[in-house]
Amino acid sequence: MKKRSIFMSVILALMILLSACAKPASPTDQPPADNGEQVLLVWDQFYRDEESKVIETLNAEFETAHPGVKIQREVKVLEDLKATVKLALTKADGPDVAQVNQGRNDMGALVEAGLLLPLNSYLDKYSWGTVFSTSVASRNSFTEDGKTFGSGNLYGVSPTAEVVGVFYNKDIFKKNNWDVPTTFEDFETLLADIKAAEITPISFGSLDGWNAIHEYSAIQHLLVSLDYINNLTYGVNNVSFDTPENRQAAQILQDWTNAGYFSEGFPGIGYDDSNNLFKAGNGAMTITGSWLAPELMVDTDQEFGFFLLPPYEGKTGLAIGGVGIPFAIRKTSEKQDLAAEYLNWMISPRAAELWAEAGMLPAMALPEDSKVDTKNLFGDILNAWNTINQGNAVGHYIDWATPTFYDTLVAELQKLLGGISTPANLAEAVEVDYGAYLQSKSE
Amino acid sequence: MANVTNKYPGESRWKGWWYLLPTLLVYLLFTFLPILETIRTSFYQWDGFSQNKVWIGLSNYAELFSDPKFHNALRNNLVFVIFYSIIPILIGLFLASLLSRRPIPGFAFFRTALFLPQVISMVVVGVIWRWMFNPTFGPINSVLRLVGLKQLAISWLGDFTWALPSVGSIGTWVQYGFCMVLFLAGMQHIQDESYEAASLDGAGAFKQFIHITVPGLRAEIAVALVTTIIAALRVFDLVYTTTRGGPGESTMVTGFLIYRAAFTTNRIGYAAAIATVLTLVILIISMLIRHFQQRGNEENT
Repeated sequence: MKKRSIFMSVILALMILLSACAKPASPTDQPPADNGEQVLLVWDQFYRDEESKVIETLNAEFETAHPGVKIQREVKVLEDLKATVKLALTKADGPDVAQVNQGRNDMGALVEAGLLLPLNSYLDKYSWGTVFSTSVASRNSFTEDGKTFGSGNLYGVSPTAEVVGVFYNKDIFKKNNWDVPTTFEDFETLLADIKAAEITPISFGSLDGWNAIHEYSAIQHLLVSLDYINNLTYGVNNVSFDTPENRQAAQILQDWTNAGYFSEGFPGIGYDDSNNLFKAGNGAMTITGSWLAPELMVDTDQEFGFFLLPPYEGKTGLAIGGVGIPFAIRKTSEKQDLAAEYLNWMISPRAAELWAEAGMLPAMALPEDSKVDTKNLFGDILNAWNTINQGNAVGHYIDWATPTFYDTLVAELQKLLGGISTPANLAEAVEVDYGAYLQSKSE
Repeated sequence: MANVTNKYPGESRWKGWWYLLPTLLVYLLFTFLPILETIRTSFYQWDGFSQNKVWIGLSNYAELFSDPKFHNALRNNLVFVIFYSIIPILIGLFLASLLSRRPIPGFAFFRTALFLPQVISMVVVGVIWRWMFNPTFGPINSVLRLVGLKQLAISWLGDFTWALPSVGSIGTWVQYGFCMVLFLAGMQHIQDESYEAASLDGAGAFKQFIHITVPGLRAEIAVALVTTIIAALRVFDLVYTTTRGGPGESTMVTGFLIYRAAFTTNRIGYAAAIATVLTLVILIISMLIRHFQQRGNEENT
């Protein structure tokens, strides 16, 4: 009998173990069909307090407007979302709607695997063409094979927009009688003046790497044409990275470094630390994206403004910009129409108003009766965004150009900033990456 | 009952395997199968989520061995061995012999305080040291400026020469407490008579250390070597939270290459190939250390 009891207890232990592994039944797993309740599973990455409140409000209002619909929201940090969303979209119980980062490694790979729903029919149905321009639409477009970025089908709609420019400390500017520069020459004179006044001209830290791309590319955008930056980013028309303009941009960046225009010890300072120093009044300016604005509008006694990096002698003066991470629909979702309805709500005038109230730049135009205060930092950013849109001067994040461009650019820029390579080295090394990608694409 | 008592002592009792079964199952399911799956994946070109999984044989390995980024990362891992393993073991030996020879007031306090870094999560360690090394408001440079060594107050984590030793020294800070506690435990089984005899023969503290303490700790040193070298070779979290492999590629390690291949460039097959090679390197080094330790034991007896 003893033997038998041991055997039984092992079986029992195994059963407990296995039942612990089984998925617990949850009321949201299978929406009951009889009362017609539908559950829309949505993954987003608006985890910061202010952003999250906007989404919560929009979701609640969507539920009110659609009786019987329940939105089940899952919030993730961007890196976390990027690492998990691809596999989740292959599952039958995966998110119906998810934010999918643009670029080849994310949206491109998902389109290639046939996991995202093309939105072209909804584009017509909801007249999204009047909500965003074709230039914006192309940033969320891929050809059906996922190979060519910037054309083909629409796969996502972005609720927010971004523009990279110069934040400046109004108090420091006022005290020293400095004006917002209107030409690149003025800007460089200003840098020298600020340095002479023993203030850090540009608060910057390159330890995290990625923001060095913005520092470099913001200057690059002043020198190149829109066609060039489109070709480079979308990988069409066989352009090269090793051009005089790209070398010149690297040269300017290196000159600024040598002149001491960046924070002392910047290679060892992280992005957030450098922003906190700027917010506390250390440094007259910082070059980064409009996403920093909400943070600079609270918990500080300093007043900040924003302007676009001024144009270089007789050139258009593009600015890095674009739309935020778009919402996309899982191809195998059974609630595609409801999901599209949700996407339409996310880019509605109401959404624009809520984003603006939170200090975030909406991708859509504000409603005419908007009550948002635009006499502040947010107003400056809205102006800058309107300026580049009207002037057809919205550039790109160049790190989307190839799957490895981000890593290559960060490494090469850190070498340039660290003084162990030259502008020519940078242009050549980056072109090796870019050329190899074009080569592999044409094979 | 009957069939149990029939057996001779020492004869294998199959019943024992039943007790092993739950753990064995868990081990097979969560350790052994994933390892096999990783090795299998390394022969494919695969993005990790689509149906598009192509068998490419040894191509991932061929690419890996000719990839200068991998060579550089492996070299950096070896530098990490110095900081994660060699230096902590030397410091651990030194501190253990200081603390063990004669009773010191507050011994328990020192032992705990010096061991503390070992119990802090690596991510927290990384965040703390990133702040410590900050060139503007970090305590290290503040102290350097205070004592007039302004020219030494460099941008530690952003400097091409100093980033690797800086990140490495964080590893030293984490590991030495573990080595010390291990050696303290080991010293308790070294006979006091050995030291007495050595003193009578006129051996000084240093000679006693070299000829009695170190050989007596052979087993503990081997354990410390194996665990710290493994930690040095698979380091990822510390690099991720401090420098992300920069500036340039100067603190890039194989663990970070695996992460990058798998999660930013969708090359699961290539990531699996790096992981397989790394596992093999770790396995070989561990076996070599065990081999030398056992040979040493045989010579001693």
